[in-house]
Amino acid sequence: MKTFCLIALMAATAGLASHAQPGTNAAPASPRLMHIDSDSEVIDGNGRTVTHLGNVRVTDPIMKLTCTLLVADLPQSGGHPSRIVAETNVVIDATNSNNRSMHATGDKAVYIYNVQNGVTNNTVTLTGNPQPRVETAQATNSADVIVWDIVNNSYTFTGNQHLVGSENFSAPTATNSLPLLKTNLPPGTIEKPGF
Amino acid sequence: MKMKCAQLILLAGAVLLAGCKKSGDTAADAPAPKDAAGHTRDFTYVDYFPEPNQTQMKSRLSGAEAQPLPGGLLAIKQFKLETFNTNGSPQVIVEAPECVYDTAKNTADSAGHLQLRSSDGKIRTEGDGFLWRQDDSLLTISNHARTVIETGSEMNIGL
Repeated sequence: MKTFCLIALMAATAGLASHAQPGTNAAPASPRLMHIDSDSEVIDGNGRTVTHLGNVRVTDPIMKLTCTLLVADLPQSGGHPSRIVAETNVVIDATNSNNRSMHATGDKAVYIYNVQNGVTNNTVTLTGNPQPRVETAQATNSADVIVWDIVNNSYTFTGNQHLVGSENFSAPTATNSLPLLKTNLPPGTIEKPGF
Repeated sequence: MKMKCAQLILLAGAVLLAGCKKSGDTAADAPAPKDAAGHTRDFTYVDYFPEPNQTQMKSRLSGAEAQPLPGGLLAIKQFKLETFNTNGSPQVIVEAPECVYDTAKNTADSAGHLQLRSSDGKIRTEGDGFLWRQDDSLLTISNHARTVIETGSEMNIGL
């Protein structure tokens, strides 16, 4: 979530960044900067990992993440980090291009990025105890496992799911829906508005 | 003891070279000048990849001054470490105002500041207090670690 990249992670941020990109007529954007602060850091050139330890704070224009331990795997030939793990008191706050915000908590967050057969997989999986949860303006969802599919802007909740709608919770509409079942996604998947 | 120190001064480069023995051949770019106190100044030592890339630099360590200390230690000022890919392209640059290099353990450490940046400058890390274990390619930044990443940067870090 590079490390989450490096932490939300660089990779996650990169994924989020792509979602937040304005239309093609937009002027060239200035470089997006991600700041990662921590008590200490270990760069393992042989193991191809970067580890941030203690009071980890990842700050990006559209995302903030805090945790105690963040480990990013570095690809052999450079490029996009393939896996970032954030552990202990993970808190993610993100805002998308529509200014919709989300707040997620969990004991562990695993960011995965890979491309298989031309398909990009870019997900954040929240697990642990206490049960991870995702809060939006519309609802609060908790479950044993929450998978945030960054590419498809959707969440999958597995095991002991609990949904609490807010006062703003409403039936799906054409442009602002929640939840909206998608037939091409696994059971339990709902589309998260704006994410 | 004086003899040992003198040897260390004279052979500072050789000692550093010995510290690089795992990776391949090493060489000093040029004889490092020494002052009356035996301090080696403006030195550069290069570590090469093993075969089949033995002609390519793996790392280049340089400093403004190296002063031998007891126990096989060298106090280095203006420490600079550059690492390269096998195709010759640069990876990262590590700089510290000062550090102590242990020629027996092949480590460098300091309580002072350290800066690391990728060759394109898109990834920058700094902190206070560090330990670099050359044989393990492991760099630990002990305090106040701060990293800035330009997203879209390639994570190609080797030490």
